Amino acid sequence: MSLVNLAAVCSHLQNASKARLGLTSIPVSKLHVALMLGLQKQGFISSVTLGGPAPPKPVLLQKPPKYRGTPEEREAKNLAEQLREARKLERRQKKGYLLNARQLEKVAWGRAPEWSYKEIVPANPGQRRLWVGLKYWKNEPVLNKMNLVSKPTRRIWVNSDDLAKITRGRESAFVKGLTRTGECMFVTTDKGIMEARECVERKLGGMVLCRVI
Amino acid sequence: MSVCRPARCLFAKTSAAALPKPSSQCRAFTTTPSRPARRRPHYPSVKAADMAYLKEQAATKYPDYAPADEALLSQKYTPSQLAAIQAAEATIDPRDLTLQGKKRNDPWKLPYEDDLSHVDGVIDHAEKLHGPPGRSKRASAREASEAEREAALALIVNEQLAKMYPDGFPANPTPEEEYRKEEAIHTAIQQAYLDPRTSFWSDDAAAWNSLADPRHSAIMQELPRIDSKVVQATATFEGQEVVDERQQRLLHQLGWPQDTNLRQRGFLHKAIVQHFVSNYTRLGKIASFYVLTIAGNQNGLLGVGEGKAVDSEEAMAASISNAYKNMKPIPRYENRTIFGDIEKKLGAVRVQLQARPPGFGVRTNHLIFEIARLAGIKDLAARVPRSRNKMNVVKATWEALTAQKLPEDIARARGKKLVDVRKVYYGGSIG
Repeated sequence: MSLVNLAAVCSHLQNASKARLGLTSIPVSKLHVALMLGLQKQGFISSVTLGGPAPPKPVLLQKPPKYRGTPEEREAKNLAEQLREARKLERRQKKGYLLNARQLEKVAWGRAPEWSYKEIVPANPGQRRLWVGLKYWKNEPVLNKMNLVSKPTRRIWVNSDDLAKITRGRESAFVKGLTRTGECMFVTTDKGIMEARECVERKLGGMVLCRVI
Repeated sequence: MSVCRPARCLFAKTSAAALPKPSSQCRAFTTTPSRPARRRPHYPSVKAADMAYLKEQAATKYPDYAPADEALLSQKYTPSQLAAIQAAEATIDPRDLTLQGKKRNDPWKLPYEDDLSHVDGVIDHAEKLHGPPGRSKRASAREASEAEREAALALIVNEQLAKMYPDGFPANPTPEEEYRKEEAIHTAIQQAYLDPRTSFWSDDAAAWNSLADPRHSAIMQELPRIDSKVVQATATFEGQEVVDERQQRLLHQLGWPQDTNLRQRGFLHKAIVQHFVSNYTRLGKIASFYVLTIAGNQNGLLGVGEGKAVDSEEAMAASISNAYKNMKPIPRYENRTIFGDIEKKLGAVRVQLQARPPGFGVRTNHLIFEIARLAGIKDLAARVPRSRNKMNVVKATWEALTAQKLPEDIARARGKKLVDVRKVYYGGSIG
């Protein structure tokens, strides 16, 4: 869990929002994927897509395949399957197997789609990027600020009591309260990365990652 | 408790003669204060005889209705209303009334006890204006025909004359009385012509009568008069108010009516920064006066205006008019504080404003205090940690207050549903 990379991601998203970019990419890691899904759940970003060095085609963003389940579950399952399938593909390619177009599509989407995309996740993990769609409303970015709370050299763990105080706007465990309008804080817990208020609801503690406004 | 007390208890003689009685004195192993020997009830017990007396008193004070009373009541009320009155009176125990009921004798008591038929113009709400049941007033009234007009005129003239001569015309009038009578008839006829009932007719009597109700008139009603010398004195003082040309110009520029009384509407302004500035030119220094004024209505409107002129009065006037022209709405949470913490940087000044709970007050520096006062913010904390340049502090605060993001907007931007639970609890009376 590299917080150095996460810090870079935070700054990058801030800068991309200030530059009014519609789509930007960040390096792929399990932490980044989970955090981006958390951001998407909170409505800060519009889409999270696994792709290559070139941005995925807009059609992918406009019309995602129909899956059952809640949008979050769907997105998580989709990404997890994409990763798994990509790894499988990699292994098969190492062994010298060749895949046909249909199989490639299956690798990309976790199942055979009704329609075909040319876009696929590169076999080389170093070439994979996570493409994040940024949101704007009334000419203002939805994600304005994103800062690390835990630092690479000083990580901060909080329990649910601390989080309860923090979400009520009080300082606890050397973490300032969430006093600004619409401020969110993400915490990595045993049950995954989630927002501080959700942690309080589920009585979970964990390591504080970042705060987002 | 003294230290020696437990020891004294331990070494005390145990013989029954030495101990006066098993009183609370001996319970000394604990720190709880001892109770008096006999416990008294908190309330004096009421004896049965007194209760009977009370009942008698209550019965004499609030007797049941006699048959004569009931007959009188039945004239005024319908049987169902009468039944309701009796049922209501039966639920109240007269004993409770005598024990707990209190007659008001404070200066603010209502001038009547239970006569709700009389409507007081000052205390009571105005009576609601109901048209006749069924059809609307406009639909039922139509233009009167010649004959109907004649009939209506006669009726209204008679009404008016009956008001002027309640006892009828004098039997043997003197010439002066005769003249007055003719005058009265003349006036009554004139008034009858002005009455809308002469021009319009309705088969529905209630609708026709409601035309004469002055509350249907488009002309503003006269308010109940208050015969107070103080009120009259202030009224004449206000009437003689000097017309301010500058204010008139400002009102014209704002597009507000000329008779707007800014003070009465809660508008205030205050010059909070003023100093001399000088322009160094080839010909020498040109000194001028700089004023920064804030204006607000103490209810969510705030403007900041600057003025600069060689003459201090001109500068002041310019800054005031600029402040009024720059007024912007300021979002306030529950009309008392801000929505969450805000930070604003302007030049080297950084202003941090923090929302606070009700009753906290405005605990800020004097500039932000004035701003909060004119904007109508009651609970606020603020820090100005870096530079404290007065002009920039005022401007930064104003910009921070006006550029607040509302929770509804944030929720909308994030695609979230926001529910204000304050509107669910407390009957929605908050906010």
